Amino acid sequence: MENTNEKNKEMTAQESLSLITETLNNSRKEITRRGGKYFLLWGALLTIFSLLVYLLWKTTGHGEWNFLWFAMPAIGIILERMLRKKDVTDRAKNDVSRIIGGIWAAFGIFSCALALFTVIYTEMGSGLFGPLAAALSMTPGIISLFGLAECITGVALKNWTIKIAGFVTGIGGLSIYYISGSTIEQMFIFTFSGIVLVATGLIVKFQYR
Amino acid sequence: MFPKLDPLLHSELRLALVSILAGVEEADFSYLKKQTGATAGNLSVQIDKLAAAGYITVEKGFKGKMPCTTCRITPAGTEAFASYVKALKKYLAAGK
Repeated sequence: MENTNEKNKEMTAQESLSLITETLNNSRKEITRRGGKYFLLWGALLTIFSLLVYLLWKTTGHGEWNFLWFAMPAIGIILERMLRKKDVTDRAKNDVSRIIGGIWAAFGIFSCALALFTVIYTEMGSGLFGPLAAALSMTPGIISLFGLAECITGVALKNWTIKIAGFVTGIGGLSIYYISGSTIEQMFIFTFSGIVLVATGLIVKFQYR
Repeated sequence: MFPKLDPLLHSELRLALVSILAGVEEADFSYLKKQTGATAGNLSVQIDKLAAAGYITVEKGFKGKMPCTTCRITPAGTEAFASYVKALKKYLAAGK
């Protein structure tokens, strides 16, 4: 039989207040640590997909390989659900985790909408992914949204590493886009974003291990 | 005159449980067990005590085929927790 008196001792006022503070701090750390895990997952997927699309596009010359991007959220959501099922600490939600979930869901919807509108309207009359410049025109929009989502996540979690990573991704990505001009190599902007996301995930994991 | 500390909350595990639940919308048994480091038996007993006082609600259900116990803090629990923290602060302020 288990001892029900363990951890039921009466405490001093100072001990009680310390316990409350520690518990609340642990909750915040837990949510940030959890965020780091998903940064790692999505960063790895973004890096792999950007390199895959680049290689296929470059070697075959067919821009249609960009449709592979739509498989990324599908795979990511399945993997995320599997991770969530495994992790006991992922079974409690609060306002911060709900806001973060909402930020990234909104990012996903806006990015897919931007990609779809670009495919449908920019290429009309000239064949799907005809001119390279048109196919790449969605890049600055998506990279800005990406940086913004990452930055707001950092604000919600009160974590400077994530805030800075958001600025690096958004502003760094835009700089590369406008400096380099329209080439297939612009796919590396997403590789760069994926690597920044993985690095952020690792730093957060290290900070809150 | 010092306010009386709520005896139900003035216990390490029950206070930890209410503190966790005050910061989340809901939490299941496995999560509470991991966060508090308590044994399943002890945790069950303390959850029942808090539920009997109306400080938390306990919902027993299933997640897939696995049984799942979900706990939520009630408005009465939130109020009791806030009063407890206020009382603690008075004790500590008087001690300075």
